Amino acid sequence: MALSAATTAATEALKVNRAPTGVNPQEVHRWMQSFNWDFAKNRTKYPTKYHMANDTKEQFKIIAKEYARMEAIKDERQFGTLLDGLSRLGAGNRMHPKWGETMKVASNFLEVGEYNAIAAAAMLWDSATASEQKNGYLAQVMDEIRHTHQCAFINHFYSKHYHDPAGHNDARRTRAIGPLWKGMKRVFADGFISGDAVECSVNLQLVGEACFTNPLIVAVTEWASANGDEITPSVFLSIETDELRHMANGYQTVVSIAHDPASSKYLNTDLNNAFWTQQKYFTPVLGMLFEYGSKYKVEPWVKTWNRWVYEDWGGIWIGRLGKFGVQSPPSLKDAKQDAYWAHHDLFLLAYALWPTGFFRLALPDEEEMQWFEANYPGWYDHYGKILNEWRALGCEDPSSKFIPIQWLEKNGHKVYVDRVSQVPFCPSLAKSTNTLRIHEYNNQLHSFSDDWGERMWLTEPERYECQSVFEQYAGREISEVVVEGHGVRADGKTLIGQPHVRGDKLWTVEDLRAAGCVFSDPLRN
Amino acid sequence: MTKNAYNYGIMEKTGKAFADEFFAEENQVVHESNAIVLVLMQSDEIDTIVEEMILKEGKKHNPSITVEDRSGFWWIKADNKIEVDCAEASEMLGKTYSVYDFLVNVSSTIGRAYTIGDKFVITSELMGLDVKLKDI
Repeated sequence: MALSAATTAATEALKVNRAPTGVNPQEVHRWMQSFNWDFAKNRTKYPTKYHMANDTKEQFKIIAKEYARMEAIKDERQFGTLLDGLSRLGAGNRMHPKWGETMKVASNFLEVGEYNAIAAAAMLWDSATASEQKNGYLAQVMDEIRHTHQCAFINHFYSKHYHDPAGHNDARRTRAIGPLWKGMKRVFADGFISGDAVECSVNLQLVGEACFTNPLIVAVTEWASANGDEITPSVFLSIETDELRHMANGYQTVVSIAHDPASSKYLNTDLNNAFWTQQKYFTPVLGMLFEYGSKYKVEPWVKTWNRWVYEDWGGIWIGRLGKFGVQSPPSLKDAKQDAYWAHHDLFLLAYALWPTGFFRLALPDEEEMQWFEANYPGWYDHYGKILNEWRALGCEDPSSKFIPIQWLEKNGHKVYVDRVSQVPFCPSLAKSTNTLRIHEYNNQLHSFSDDWGERMWLTEPERYECQSVFEQYAGREISEVVVEGHGVRADGKTLIGQPHVRGDKLWTVEDLRAAGCVFSDPLRN
Repeated sequence: MTKNAYNYGIMEKTGKAFADEFFAEENQVVHESNAIVLVLMQSDEIDTIVEEMILKEGKKHNPSITVEDRSGFWWIKADNKIEVDCAEASEMLGKTYSVYDFLVNVSSTIGRAYTIGDKFVITSELMGLDVKLKDI
């Protein structure tokens, strides 16, 4: 058959200019730099008060083909490990039960963070002007989708293989009643996707990812391993393999604005607010999960915080940027106070309100109490005595009809919720940075626990209107609220939350009702 | 114990001694550091690269490199810079192994990390501010 003129021409042309059979991906990256995302005007739906420069880079020179191949290998390795070897070894049921409960919180909350980060990275793609920076953000959007799936898969895996799936299978249904959910949404949702685009990048990438993912996603795997959990290291360390590119995106965002002298007007305030916002929640919650949600301790949480947050993030990221006008966050001193005490404060309140959780908590045993006192001198006299008193009052046993929040009320220890961070606090018992202050605005009372959140609220009060569980359910009996908020297992009577990790003596709705516990709003009583 | 060890300095202390240093006035602001931290997921290839490249040739070029086994990951801290040449790794492993294969198991970086050709670099330099980011 005769060749067409076009085919002949193409064949002749290829003889002269051979098509490449193998190209280094980084050469492709250089070639692709000739393409760009330039528009006549970079119109964005998400403007920023900063001026982002146009020559910033994507440090890993990712192109679509290599990105897809790299991520496919990660997933093949991770899912292959879980679905094959670890399933056969029964790994999903070999961890200490205290840690099994901790992972209900860690995997569910991280999933929400990853989900919101999809939108955050997409917003930054829209705001940035440099083509390479956009490329970095675009890869991050896809990464965050992958991470959302990974966290969901951890819950799916544990739901099938862990002996107590309640809380892994559908945690979100309890989001209205669990006091930890709202604070988590403040850092993981509002912090990432509300407000100025660059401020969101500082929250998400420069603080959330470059600082707190190291304890949350890396250090957590040490605790997991120590407590017999082989699932979490396989998944979380794989999630973190994408985070380094996100940290680089955050760094390039700073590079993109550093040339503009006007940036110095805002950057240090935004950095301090972001640092305080993220630490206010992560510091107590991670510390509580690690130390109170494990049997075998790796090291005191305050040391983990000192290494990853203070020395490495503070020194290597923020300290190095000092000559470009980036200052040490003024809230650091208060954050260090929190790193030492806030997780103990939070455990006391979380345990007092255990029926509202989607996970089980357990009191530290004698050996653990000695560990706490050795590492946090003064712990026993302040916290240990209260926990032992609760134990003596039978808080673990349903026949006691005793919920620890009743002890706090009876002894005049009111529990408030900080309007900005949504973190519960008890001013009369807290050893972390917590002093009560109350403002009235729009005929509503608002409680605050620290200077930094109070300042943020005074600047933008309309941004922080979320109601606390105490305001929402004031006057309501607690079992009624727990049933309404889906805190009950599939049998229709046993609570998801429990004050111990034993197999027997599980609290039911009836047991909780017998305690006669009623929610009260501390701002109105 | 070297100054880049996981439990160096204040981290060696316990109880009140730790608290005294943690809350000392001079430690209420960040201190600039020229260190870098690299977290590598443990795997067949990474274990070999750590053993044969980072702890041998890498340490010859940069004696400050410290490597610690933290169960699921290698925690590596050094002053200034670490480079991993994946062409060299490929030869050693006896299979195709590009810088993107290496990135499959790079779990975290504290410092500025980038790729250049088939090399992975993590540095304390401020690329784009102090120095221009190298391109191929």
